[in-house]
Amino acid sequence: MRKMRSDGLTVVFMLCLAFVTTGGKSFESTVSQLLRDETEDLKCFVVGKKDLTCFWEVEEARNDQYTFMYSYENEKKTPCVVSSRFLLASNKTVFFCKLPKTIFFAALDVQVFRDGRTLYNRSLRAENILFVDPPRNLTVMSSGKEGQLNVSWLPPPLKYMDDSMIYEVRYAVDGSHMGKVEEMMASTTLVLRDLQSGTRYKVWVRVKLDGVSYKSYWSSWTDPVFADTLPSGIDPLIVLLVLFIGLILCLLSLTVILSHHKVLLKKLWPDIPTPEHKFPGLFTVYKGDFKEWMSQNNGSMWGRSVHVFTEELPSHVEVLSEVSLTSHGTSPREERKPVVEVEESERTDSGLMGGWREPPHAQWLMEQLRALQENPESLSQSTLLQSHDTYVALNQNSQHVEEVAERQEDDVFEETLPLQTLFTTEGTSSLSASHSDLGSLPQSSGSGRLSSQSSFEYPNHTWPPKGCGYTYMAVADSGVSMDYSPMSSSRNTELGKHGIYTNEYKNEIFGKWPFSSQHVESGY
Amino acid sequence: MFHGSGLFALLLMVLEWTRPGLSSPLRPICDLRVLDHYIKEAWDAEAAVRACKDDCSSATNFTVPLTRVDFDVWEAMNIEEQAQEVQSGIHVLNEAISSLQAFNQTDVIQSNIDATIRNIVSIRQVLRSLSIPEYVPPTSGGEDKEMQKVSSVSELFQIHVNFLRGKVRLLLASAPVCHQGVS
Repeated sequence: MRKMRSDGLTVVFMLCLAFVTTGGKSFESTVSQLLRDETEDLKCFVVGKKDLTCFWEVEEARNDQYTFMYSYENEKKTPCVVSSRFLLASNKTVFFCKLPKTIFFAALDVQVFRDGRTLYNRSLRAENILFVDPPRNLTVMSSGKEGQLNVSWLPPPLKYMDDSMIYEVRYAVDGSHMGKVEEMMASTTLVLRDLQSGTRYKVWVRVKLDGVSYKSYWSSWTDPVFADTLPSGIDPLIVLLVLFIGLILCLLSLTVILSHHKVLLKKLWPDIPTPEHKFPGLFTVYKGDFKEWMSQNNGSMWGRSVHVFTEELPSHVEVLSEVSLTSHGTSPREERKPVVEVEESERTDSGLMGGWREPPHAQWLMEQLRALQENPESLSQSTLLQSHDTYVALNQNSQHVEEVAERQEDDVFEETLPLQTLFTTEGTSSLSASHSDLGSLPQSSGSGRLSSQSSFEYPNHTWPPKGCGYTYMAVADSGVSMDYSPMSSSRNTELGKHGIYTNEYKNEIFGKWPFSSQHVESGY
Repeated sequence: MFHGSGLFALLLMVLEWTRPGLSSPLRPICDLRVLDHYIKEAWDAEAAVRACKDDCSSATNFTVPLTRVDFDVWEAMNIEEQAQEVQSGIHVLNEAISSLQAFNQTDVIQSNIDATIRNIVSIRQVLRSLSIPEYVPPTSGGEDKEMQKVSSVSELFQIHVNFLRGKVRLLLASAPVCHQGVS
């Protein structure tokens, strides 16, 4: 029996101790906050609707005697018991008095005396010094939309005052010290907008009374609640629209391609030019027997060819070196393509028509064509022979040959380079030419001196270094090319056998060389 | 002549019986923000009068209601007692403020007096909408426990504000009409 009684007393004691501890902790936190927020020396607050407490702080705990007196309007002054407490958090001592009754909407006068002298004197009203608890059940969730969070909470349990509350919501990116504050009037929900996607946020809430009927201090902040916003994603509608538009564009482009496939094919994959149309019947009737074909067509071929030339579009002409042709394992003869009509631009038509004479080495040219026909694969072997434009190796005109021949044998030799039509690549595009360059071609580089009146252009920057056995020059518009390759003795001999081929066609561009680069480039 | 007077009497009886002049019942005004609006107006009047010191003195005392509220005591009262206390206080307050019109006041004070009188009329309408019966305290010679005496105009307006903030608001917040749908 005694043991049971002692156990019961122990339980009661523990409960009281826990209650006091909890209340004490709450009191300390309230006092600590008011020490920061309240400017009055004698600080008072009301918790709930019944507990009005006033306290003051002392720097040094001495054995001073404090007296606390209070009086409501039209009442007598009444003493209040003064207590003290040491605050561990701030290492300070506070004296406080908890009034036995709390009257609202009535004036309250309080006085503190220390050793008989008035220390503090204050007049206040209980409805203006309320201290409310922070909001409860703070919840933060994603709203389902990008950059938004739904915040909700419950007001502190205060009867008669629920609709007089103002809330403050503070939110910040987790880890950041910069936050924003939103104020709410009598509403316990809030949607935070314009937030960063895929980011973790911290949210706090606090409350105070609006001051119309009741006035209070700001409550303490709630514990922070963390929430993540939705990651930025692409709206499925936008994805569908993009796909739909892409599909339509593909269909349109496909339609355009199919309707113009012939033109596009011709541009992207031009046909390999064949000389068949230049030599009608050569390969069909005469089975490639050029002699026979020549004999049948007689001398009208060249004129017709020239006429055909003029009707066709100008093609890019590139000059191949004889040495390189030799180095590729094919004989110069074999590499030299069959004579293909050099396509001239209209401006060269008159020159061609007027001054074109039957080349003296036509027979050799025919042989070249036959060789080409016999060895068509030689086209692909040469690195230069990748495109299908026409190459023409042109030597100097007769006039200049006469002049040069009087000077040097080498010049004559170089000038006697026969006309060679070769298939060339269409690599070079930007060409520049200068009249002076024509006459300044160094013989040491192995290239022949070019002084013909043919209109051609070569890029100076593409002039190969010495020792390079292969040089070529891209010739535009004129359809002729100059062979600037180092001349070997055998080659020279061979050329000499075939005599001098002179190209005496007139070329209007010749007179326009200073401006030919621009002219030709525009022709491209 | 007899017929004319008889008809007239009959008409009066019918009108008295039907009472066509009576207004339809007011919708209950349970939103306390309405009262808060009048409280704010009372605050403005009190602030304006507080600034007036010498011009606002009065030689007479005003009988005004007590504004203090002890929640323990208030919650122990029933709704009828609370209503009676509030209605009698409004009646007394209205008489006190109306008595100020007899004195020469400044234009500012006079405008605030008029606004306060209109304020009290509106609050009575709100109480009527909540089916709170009107109550006129008996004019007894003895002191009323719920009444007090003030001597200044500023105190009178302070009493007005605190009475609205306290007892009137508590009564409206606990009006039975506003809590009929809540179990």
